[in-house]
Amino acid sequence: MAILGFEITGYQIAFVVLAGITLGSAALVVLMPNIMRAALFLGLTLLGVAGLYVLMNAAFLAAVQVMIYVGAVTTMIILAIFLSHRLMQVGFAQAIHNPVFAFAAAGVMFIFLFITVANSLWVRDICAPGPANTDVGVHAVANALLQPYVFPFELASVVLLVALVGAVVIAKEDRPGEP
Amino acid sequence: MNHSAYGIPISWFLTVGALLFCIGLFGMMVRRSAIGMLISIELMLNAANLNLVAFGSYLRQPTIAGQVFAIFVITLAAAEAAIGLAIIINIYRLELHIEADKITSMKL
Repeated sequence: MAILGFEITGYQIAFVVLAGITLGSAALVVLMPNIMRAALFLGLTLLGVAGLYVLMNAAFLAAVQVMIYVGAVTTMIILAIFLSHRLMQVGFAQAIHNPVFAFAAAGVMFIFLFITVANSLWVRDICAPGPANTDVGVHAVANALLQPYVFPFELASVVLLVALVGAVVIAKEDRPGEP
Repeated sequence: MNHSAYGIPISWFLTVGALLFCIGLFGMMVRRSAIGMLISIELMLNAANLNLVAFGSYLRQPTIAGQVFAIFVITLAAAEAAIGLAIIINIYRLELHIEADKITSMKL
């Protein structure tokens, strides 16, 4: 398909739409005065990132992203907001502090990163013009997790167990007379 | 799918990752609420994941390591969110607010 003389593929249209959803809702996440709406837009951002994973032939990772980030982390953040903000209070809002300085700092950071990406030789020399066409389904991920990366995999399960127990202990209310 | 039909170079993904990271950085500096800062950290972690997966699948010898690293990052981010939110809820119980620069109960 050619638009204005440029050859445009369907993948490019999908990329632009998904990147727009991701970055637009990410901007709303940091700019929304109401923290509850920010958390809801965080879910949309994470869904957009999952779509970008699909474009890079990482469908399993996209499923993981939707289940863990959108399903679990966002829900947990929203529950924590329920427990720690008086949402129904009149005039509830979260102020944005020093946006000018923060924007300048983040902008300088982005300019440096963009110059690096645009000029670096390694991006041009070691990367193919498109994502790998190999079958990187669940089989490949499972083989990688259980053969070369089995030690980090087991370590991650221990970390998760410790984090769960720690979270329960920290969030538990201390009532006098209870052990 | 051959490469020429795809038409998305890796620098597009890297640019989106850089923008997402900088938006997260902006949010980190702008928010005072601890939960707002935690949300910004999640944005930055996602930007890093995007770069990992992009390099993993765009290398001339593609490797699964990018996706595996991304899975580890997601796992640790979930653990970090659980611990962080537990701490935030506990602080709210003690101080009745979660403004990060007004929490001074550990100061001498």
